[in-house]
Amino acid sequence: MNQPKITSMKADDIQTARRDFMVQALKAAGFAVGGSFFPVSAFAQGPTPKRGGVLKLGLQGGSASDSLDPRLINDSIMMVAAYALMNGLVQIGPGGKAEGELLESWESDDTAKKWTFNVRKGIKFTSGKLLDADDIIYSINLHRGKTVSPDRGILKPIQSMTKVGSHQIQIELDAGNVDFPYVLSDYHLLVVPNGFTNWTKPDGTGAFELESFTPGVRINLKGKGDGYWKPNCGNFDAVQILYINDTGTRTAALRSGEIDGANRLDPRTVDFLIRDPQLTVVRTRGTGSRFCFEMDTSSGPFKDPNLRLAMKYGINREQIIKTVFNGYATLGNDDILDPQMPFYDHALPQRHYDPEKAKFYFAKAGAAGRNIELVTSTGAYTQAVDCAELFQQSLASAGIKLNIKRVAGDGYWSTVWMKVPFCASYWGRRPTADIALTTALQSDSNYNDTHWKNPKFDQLLAQARVERDEAKRAQLYDECQKMVYDDGGILCFAIGDYLDGYSKRVLGNAPTARYDMSDDRICETGWFA
Amino acid sequence: MFKAIVSRLALGMVTLLAVTMLIFAATEVLPGDVATAVLGQGATQATVAQYRKQLGLDQPAPIRYWRWLSGTLHGNFGTSMTNQLPVAQEVAPRLRNTLFLAAFSALIAVPLSIALGLLSAIHENGLIDRGTNVLAVFAISFPDFFIAYILIYIFSSRLGLFPSLATLSSGMSLAQRIHHIILPAVALTALVTAHMMRTTRNTILSEMSKPYIETAFLKGFGRIRVIVRHALPNVWAPIITVVALNLAYLVVGVVVIEVVFVYPGIGQLMVDAVSKRDLPVVQACGLIFSAVFVSLNTLSDMLALYANPRLRRGAR
Repeated sequence: MNQPKITSMKADDIQTARRDFMVQALKAAGFAVGGSFFPVSAFAQGPTPKRGGVLKLGLQGGSASDSLDPRLINDSIMMVAAYALMNGLVQIGPGGKAEGELLESWESDDTAKKWTFNVRKGIKFTSGKLLDADDIIYSINLHRGKTVSPDRGILKPIQSMTKVGSHQIQIELDAGNVDFPYVLSDYHLLVVPNGFTNWTKPDGTGAFELESFTPGVRINLKGKGDGYWKPNCGNFDAVQILYINDTGTRTAALRSGEIDGANRLDPRTVDFLIRDPQLTVVRTRGTGSRFCFEMDTSSGPFKDPNLRLAMKYGINREQIIKTVFNGYATLGNDDILDPQMPFYDHALPQRHYDPEKAKFYFAKAGAAGRNIELVTSTGAYTQAVDCAELFQQSLASAGIKLNIKRVAGDGYWSTVWMKVPFCASYWGRRPTADIALTTALQSDSNYNDTHWKNPKFDQLLAQARVERDEAKRAQLYDECQKMVYDDGGILCFAIGDYLDGYSKRVLGNAPTARYDMSDDRICETGWFA
Repeated sequence: MFKAIVSRLALGMVTLLAVTMLIFAATEVLPGDVATAVLGQGATQATVAQYRKQLGLDQPAPIRYWRWLSGTLHGNFGTSMTNQLPVAQEVAPRLRNTLFLAAFSALIAVPLSIALGLLSAIHENGLIDRGTNVLAVFAISFPDFFIAYILIYIFSSRLGLFPSLATLSSGMSLAQRIHHIILPAVALTALVTAHMMRTTRNTILSEMSKPYIETAFLKGFGRIRVIVRHALPNVWAPIITVVALNLAYLVVGVVVIEVVFVYPGIGQLMVDAVSKRDLPVVQACGLIFSAVFVSLNTLSDMLALYANPRLRRGAR
């Protein structure tokens, strides 16, 4: 009780400071891409990790229908298990930087169209097979062509993929993309041996092998001992993952010591856990869901940009974050990128609640006296209804009447989203500024859910994709974000923070620039003190 | 009697068939299908179409239903559409768990509630009657998850007597299993006891104004003897019906308790399957649930027939 905990004090503690430092350092160093070599960073914090022990995790984000087929992975439990069993191609290191994983290094030609990747040598699968270029090609091809993989879209630019040597492949894109290695960091892109199909027992190069898996109940993983290739990683003898989807139960189990780690703590009760001397709370800031209300910019009332601005000024972001998220969220600034991402435009002024401006733009849109309808549902995101109610109140203070239409969560994405003028929705993090902006906002993207079309924006985006000069690229992306901020239909008011809880004994659990649970790699990075 | 049983069973089979049709129709009507549910928000039309084709969802609904039905009649419940595991293999361990928890809870709840009901009837308006009544109303008024959280807070977090996670694993002895499921069993007991207890009490009391009871009293028998020997045999039928209903509830209605205690039962499996539109699993769970209802109801009818002296005579 008498000693404050390093990793968990409520707001600006050492971990955050550390992270901010890394982001700063990254900016100072410039953001290197293409033609560069990044060694695997040692994830360890300070002292050399100790080996041994059985890590018990209680996680949310999975169900009885889970499968370890990389093409079907879509939630935390499968991500954590998959990263324990298998490795990715490229990993995201401190500061959101792409680092080599099974693809050790890479370079591209001047047009950023032709890429050469070197496959790491001497890496063994669980079955004993040695990793080579064919395994990489097979594993990438699982997500190309006729496949159910959600990565089908982002890999579409790949025109050809050829084996150059036993440990080298060449990828040719249909158009240049300086960020291509980042595309390969997507969590679905996991590596299995050439021709492998038995997804009930994946054969991977990870630190663990699968002992047993009961979807919806538990996963038992056995450590491979000293054989793991990443330095200082893979320290546990075994890992047990329990499906605990109920937040109250997960928290109780963490406090009673039945589990050593839990994800997705409840922001409303996390302050109590922070005070518990047995626990460490790790906060990953502002890389989670982008919570939005989205307006259809192509038809209906929100065709008028003034009405969109009225909405953007009429929402009290601070109040929502304080009330609904208990402060554990980052202010959204009507952008699809987050402040931790490279190329986020930090110069854009933060938009605050301004009832006068809301009133002004509402009148300017000629909407005075008209009612606005917002469709919301807990199926969009858990807090969507609470947020909508606060939005209604803050708009009312600006003299704007918002009707909330609450609908069932079931089928929300197929029946409401992208089909009504104004609805709740969220965006997940994407590996690069390019992918995020392209997916959400480029004119002909399938997911352009605000139906926002702007040829100038498309052109800037295409230009940035092949611009090798870092400063110029940053300028182009700044311009893109400014357009979205001023004219877009995305009202992003908050970006979720991730909150993980660990027993004090667990170390090696630093937050990363991507997902929670140390980028879902806690099984390999963690160790017991 | 035999004829009655056979016709009952036949009726039960028809009910089951109707239930499978209803479940199939219901999952068809739900927006989205397994492809959109599994692939999620990030799915494109192309990936969804591809997945549908893989699973045979591009076939018309009656054909899919018929395929499923004929498979089931041959003892093949199919494979899960989401993780490709055989449905039987997925359902069996969870069904065992559910039945284990239900049986254990019933062992506590049924004797307890009937005994308490009798006691309250014997001491009508006495201290015991009022006390149990208050407790029963208390237990029934709180939502199940709240009772569960209170139990976890007191017995797991504060006292450390029982684990808050009721997850069973294969290597556990019976004693360990029981130790793990005590809290969920107590929570379930709290939920079902009130109903059974109050039915026992009230049916007995309503019987007490009948002339034959008055006769028994006039013969000089004590209250306990009159209730146990005279009134109780005549009110078994409604009590058995209510007990059967509650037993069925213990099997099919405990999803929330399963979630809170992380108990790997069949309720959670069905919820997961419905949210993913995993039809073979939904159908298997639905079949089991309706079979539980049908058989328990049939059983309770038989028992009521047997327990009631007048009905028994009529049946002969």
